[in-house]
Amino acid sequence: MGGATDDGASAVMEGGPEPMSKNALKKLEKAKKAAEEKRAKEEVKKAAAAAAPKKAVKAQQAEDDEDMDPTQYRNNRLRALGEQKEKMKNPYPHKFHTSISIPDYIKEFGSLADGDHLEDKAVSVAGRVMSKRASGGKLMFYDLHADGLKIQVIAQSNYASVSEEDFAKTHASVKRGDIVGINGFPGKSKKGELSIFVKSIELLSYCLHMLPKTYAKGGKDHAEKSLEKKLSEVAIDSEDNKVAEQWHPGASRNLDRYVLKDQETRYRQRYLDLMLNSDIRNVFKTRSQVIRYVRRFLDDRDFVEVETPMMNMIAGGAAAKPFKTHHNDLNMDLFMRIAPELYLKELIVGGLDRVYEIGKQFRNEGIDLTHNPEFTTCEFYWAYADYDDLMRVTEEMLSGMVKEITGGYKIQYHSNGLDQPAIEIDFTPPFRRIDMIKGLEEYSEGKIKLPESLELLESPEVNKYLIEACEKFDVKCPPPQTTTRLLDKLVGHFIEEQCVNPTFIMHHPQIMSPLAKWHRSIPGLTERFELFVNKHEVCNAYTELNDPVVQRERFADQVKDREKGDDEAMAIDENFCIALEYGLPPTAGWGMGIDRFTMMLTDSQNIKEVLLFPAMKPHEDVIEPPVRAADDVAS
Amino acid sequence: MALGRHICFAKSSACLSSPSLSFLSTAAHFLQPPNLFFSHKSVKSPLAMLARVSHVARFPGFRRCERSLLHSIRCNASSSAPQTSEKPESKNSRNPRVSEGGRRKKSAEVDSTSSREDIRTLRLKKVEDLRAGGFEPYGYTWDRTHTAAELQKQYVDLPSATEANEEKDHVAVAGRIIARRVFGKLAFLTMRDDSGDIQLYCEKAKLTDEAFDQLKTLMDIGDFIGAKGTMKRTEKGELSVLVGELSILTKSLLPLPDKWHGLTDVEKRYRQRYVDMIMNPDVATVFRDRAKIISEIRRHMESLGYLEIETPVLQGEAGGADARPFVTHHNALGQDMYLRIATELHLKRMVVGGFERVYEIGRIFRNEGISTRHNPEFTSIELYQAYADYDDMMNLAEEIVEKCALTVNGSLSLTYQGTEISLQRPWKRASMHSLVEEVTGINFASFGDDIEAAKNAAVSFFAGHIERHDTGTILKAPSIGHLVNEVFEMVVEKTLIQPTFVMDHPVEISPLAKPHRSKPGLVERFELFVYGREMANAFSELTDPIEQRSRFEAQVRTHNAAMAAAAEAAKAKGDTALTSAINDAYEVGMDEDFVTALEYGMPPTAGMGIGIDRLVMLLTDSASIRDVIAFPVMKSQ
Repeated sequence: MGGATDDGASAVMEGGPEPMSKNALKKLEKAKKAAEEKRAKEEVKKAAAAAAPKKAVKAQQAEDDEDMDPTQYRNNRLRALGEQKEKMKNPYPHKFHTSISIPDYIKEFGSLADGDHLEDKAVSVAGRVMSKRASGGKLMFYDLHADGLKIQVIAQSNYASVSEEDFAKTHASVKRGDIVGINGFPGKSKKGELSIFVKSIELLSYCLHMLPKTYAKGGKDHAEKSLEKKLSEVAIDSEDNKVAEQWHPGASRNLDRYVLKDQETRYRQRYLDLMLNSDIRNVFKTRSQVIRYVRRFLDDRDFVEVETPMMNMIAGGAAAKPFKTHHNDLNMDLFMRIAPELYLKELIVGGLDRVYEIGKQFRNEGIDLTHNPEFTTCEFYWAYADYDDLMRVTEEMLSGMVKEITGGYKIQYHSNGLDQPAIEIDFTPPFRRIDMIKGLEEYSEGKIKLPESLELLESPEVNKYLIEACEKFDVKCPPPQTTTRLLDKLVGHFIEEQCVNPTFIMHHPQIMSPLAKWHRSIPGLTERFELFVNKHEVCNAYTELNDPVVQRERFADQVKDREKGDDEAMAIDENFCIALEYGLPPTAGWGMGIDRFTMMLTDSQNIKEVLLFPAMKPHEDVIEPPVRAADDVAS
Repeated sequence: MALGRHICFAKSSACLSSPSLSFLSTAAHFLQPPNLFFSHKSVKSPLAMLARVSHVARFPGFRRCERSLLHSIRCNASSSAPQTSEKPESKNSRNPRVSEGGRRKKSAEVDSTSSREDIRTLRLKKVEDLRAGGFEPYGYTWDRTHTAAELQKQYVDLPSATEANEEKDHVAVAGRIIARRVFGKLAFLTMRDDSGDIQLYCEKAKLTDEAFDQLKTLMDIGDFIGAKGTMKRTEKGELSVLVGELSILTKSLLPLPDKWHGLTDVEKRYRQRYVDMIMNPDVATVFRDRAKIISEIRRHMESLGYLEIETPVLQGEAGGADARPFVTHHNALGQDMYLRIATELHLKRMVVGGFERVYEIGRIFRNEGISTRHNPEFTSIELYQAYADYDDMMNLAEEIVEKCALTVNGSLSLTYQGTEISLQRPWKRASMHSLVEEVTGINFASFGDDIEAAKNAAVSFFAGHIERHDTGTILKAPSIGHLVNEVFEMVVEKTLIQPTFVMDHPVEISPLAKPHRSKPGLVERFELFVYGREMANAFSELTDPIEQRSRFEAQVRTHNAAMAAAAEAAKAKGDTALTSAINDAYEVGMDEDFVTALEYGMPPTAGMGIGIDRLVMLLTDSASIRDVIAFPVMKSQ
C-alpha cells in the first residue's frame, strides 16, 4: 500500500507507542501540544501528498479512501464480496481455529523483550481490525481488537507465505472493521509493542460499512485524531494492551471522549457502541458482575433461585400499569407481571423457606432517565426473618458488592450531570437510618407535624393538612390527592433529597404499604424500609404482612384509592389471599432494582446506559449507516 | 424477636413475660371443657403410630419417604381434627389404619366448601381469642438454631430413650405442623420445615397445665410454630425436640386437604402449587433440582469464559424463530410490541459488538397451545461462541447435559417415565436425511428439485405404512426441505429415545444457519433429541448479510403463502372458520436492524439453544412441563 494519502501510515510512524508516564495530566498537556504541532506537520504532508502522483499499486483502490461516500464504500465492498462468491470462494468461512485468545496472548507473550521474535512459535488469533496502517508496499500494521484488548499485527512480505503480489492483494482487501484470522508468531516491535507477525491472514467476515471516525476528513480532524490517540495513550499502560483509557467500575466515565457519541446510534446499534467505545464493554460486564454477586450472595445463604410467571391473570405485587396481552388458544387476556412478590410468597407458603428470583418486570409507563418499560429486579423472601435482619443483610450485600467490584466502598458519580464535577458516594456500612414520619418533621424543620396517633393518618383532616403542606412548600402532587400520594411527594421533597449516601428511610405508614406488616410497637406504621442512594430508591423491603384478614382489608383500601382515581393502587389478588389463609410463616421480603444499582457503579445518568437494548421510540426507516452520526460529532 | 407477643408456653420464667401471663389467664376463659374433646384413648397405641413415622423421619431427605409421610399426614389430619372441634362427626374414628376407607369419605366432607368455611370461621375465632389474650397469632420473627435436617444429622447417633440436654443441646426450630397427636399428658407434633421433618415431644410436665391446654385448643395442623427445647430420642427411636417453649408463629385458617393426591381436579395441584408443595415435598425437590441445574449451567458457562447478558423481552419485531408471538401495546410510545420468541438475533448482535462468548438464560414467550411439553412462557439458554462451529456445539451440549445430570442425579444413566436412558458420551450423530432414509427407505436427496416425485414417494410410503398418518402436511410442503422435515417429525422423532444429534437440516427450514461446508442444500445445524423430544437446537451461524436477507425474504414468502392458503381453506368452510383463521394468522417480519448488524461483520460463530424446562423434565423424571414450572399457565376457571 503505502499510498501517500494513507494518513494511518504517518500516524504509526510518528505517534507510535512511547514509554508511558504515570502522570496523566502532564501527559495530557504534552499530548495537546504534540497534537498542535503534528496538525501543522500533517497539513504540510497532506498537501504534498495531494500534489504527488499516486503510486500505481494495484491494490491501492479508491475504497481505501476514508473520505468516500458511505454508500459508495458499501457498494465497493459488496462488489468485492460478490467477486469472491463468483470465484466460488466462501467469503464467510465456517471456522477459524484460534490457538489462543488475545487476553491469553498478552499474558503469555507480554513479557517478551523489545524487538524479540519467537519465530518457531506458531500461534493463531482472530479479532476485529480497528486500525490499519501501511508503510510502503511490504509492511502493514493493524490493531487487532478482541475481548476488550488489542495487539498489533505486523505483516511483512518476507514473513508471509505468499508472493509479494499476493501479499499486497490480500492486505488491500482487508479493511478497517473486518474480522480476520491470523496465523503467525509472537514478537515485540523495537518500540516494545506486543505484536503478532503474520504468516497468513484470512478475512473471516466483511465489515461492509465504514466505521465512524471522529477524524474522517480535513486538517482539523487530523489534529483531533492525533489528540484522540494521545489521550487514549495517556491512560494506557502499554504492558496490558488496554484498548483505550481504562475505565473501571466505581470511577467516573467521560462520555465526551467517546469515538461514537451520538446517543441514538449508541443505543440503537449497541454493537457499534461496543466496538468503538471501549468503556461500554466494561459497563455491561459490571452489570453482569452485579447480578452474579447478588446470586452468589444468596446462594451462599441457602436461598433457592426460582422462576415465577411473567404473564398473569392479575398483575399484582406492586402498584403500576401493566402491559396487557392475549393468549389466542386459551382466548384469555394476560398481564405482564409488575412484580414477582405474590408468587414468591406463595412459594414460602409452600415450604421453600428461602427463595429469590432475578428477572424482568414490566411496567407500561413513560420512558425517562430512570425508567424503561422492562427492567430487572432481584426479590428474595426469607422465612422467620424480619426487616431488621434485612437491613443488616442489605448493608452486608451492597457494601460487599461495591467493595468487590470497585475495590473500595466509595464510588464517583456524576450526580448533577456530566458538566458538573462527580460526587462521591460512600457505601461504608452501616448505612444511615431515617424514620419517615420523624424525618418529615425534622427535615421540614418542624413545619410538617403529623398527629401523635398515627392511626389517624387516614382521616380527612390529615389529608387536608397534607394538601395545604404541599401547597405551602410548592410540592407538586397531581390529583388524585390521596394521603398516600401526598405523603409520598412530601417525603420525596424533604427526606429523599437528603439521601446521597445509602440511607434507609423506614417505618412507612400502613396506608402507603399494603403488603407490609404493621409495626410491632408503633401503631399505624409498618416494618418497612426503602434504601435510597443518590436520592433514588434502590431497595424496598419489609416484614411481610401475613395476616390474611388484614391483607384483605388493605387490598380493599387500595380499591378505594383506585376508585378515587389512583390507577396505580393495587388490585386485589384473591388467590394470594387464599394462599395466606394456608399460613405464611413470619417472613421478610426484599427487592432491589438491578438497573439502578448498576447505574451507580457505572456512573450512568441514564438507565439506557446499562441496558443493552433500551426501549426506543419507533423509527421509520432502516438504521442509517452511522457515518452520519460520526459526521455530526465531527462537525 | 417479639416472643412476648407470641403464645409462649414455656415454663422458664424468662419466657413468661407479662403479656404471656395475662394471656394465660384471659385465654383460659375461652377454653372449652376438656371432656368435649375427642380423647385419643380409642387409638390403639400412640406409640404404634409413632413407629410408622419414625422410620421416615430419620432420613433428612424427603425423596424416600413421601408415601409414608403422606400416609401419616392423612391419618393425623383426621384423627387430630376432633380435638379442635373442627370435625365433631368423626369423633368415633378409630385407629386410622383400620378405618381408612371410612375416613376417606369423611375427609371428602372436610374438603367440601361448607365445612371448609366452618373451619375457617372457627380458626378466625381462635385468632381473635389469641389476640384477646394479648398474643399476636402472626409472629414477626423466630431465631431458629437448626433446621430439621440439621438436627437429624447432628443427633443421628443419639440412642433411643435418651435425652441430650446439655447447654449445646438447646435448640430452636420452626416450621409447619403437619401431624398432631394429643394424649392425656403428652402431645406429639410433627413439624416440617424446608429441610425435612422433626417431631416435637410436648410433655405436660415440661409445660404449664394451661400451656398444654393451649396446645390442645388453639393449635391446628397447618399452623406455623416455633419451638425451643432440648433433644431426645424416644423409646421407639424417633428423634424429637423435647419442648420447653412453644409459639404459634402463623395461624393457618384453611385446613390442609387430607387426600391431595386423590383429588379429581388434578389441575388444582398446579393452581394451588403451595398446597401441592406442602402435601408432597417431592414437588419442592423438583424445583430445588431445577435451581441446581440452572446454577450448574451458569457455572459451566462462566468457567468457559461466557458472559451472561440480558436482551429485551419487549420487541418491535419478534424474530429468531417462526412462532406466533404475544402482542402488547406500550401506551407511552403508542406502539404495539411483541414478546420475544427467541433471544437469538439480539445475542448475535452482541457477538458483532465484540462479546465473543455470550449467553442468556431467560424467558421466551410463544402464543401457542398448552400441552405436557408446552407452556406459553418457558425458559431457555441461548449461547453464542465466536470462532466455533456446530461440531463444537455438539461437544458443549454433551458437556452441559452431563454436568447437570451428575449434579442432580449423580449418574449418567437415568430412568425417564420408565424408559432407561444413557447419557454416556459420545451420543449418536446422524444426518436428518439418513435418519429419514433409515425409517422410510426413501433417499430424499435423490429427488433433486422434483418436489412432486418426492411427495409421491412420501405419500406412497405412508399408504403402505400400518400407522395412519395425516398426509395433508406432506402435500402442503412448499419445498423438499420442508417435506423431509415433515416426514422426519412424523416418523423419526419418536424413535430417538437415546440422545441423538440430528444433523444437517435442509436450508429451507433453517433461515439462520450457515450453508453446509460440503453438502449443498443443507446447513450446519443439529437438533438434540432425547426421548423423542427436541432438547437443543444449534448451528454454525449464518454470517453473510446478503444471504441472510434473502433467507428472511424466503421465510416471509413461505409464511405468507401458508397463511394465505390457510385463509383460503377456511373461506371454503365458512365465515366462522375464516374469522378464526384470520385471528390465528400472524406476521413474520424481517429484522432489518439485525441484517445491518451482520453488515458490520460477525465472526464465524456457533450458537445453541437448550430448552431448560425439558432438560429439567428429563433429569427429574417429570412427565409434564407443568411439573417443572412452579406456576404453569392454566385455563381460566
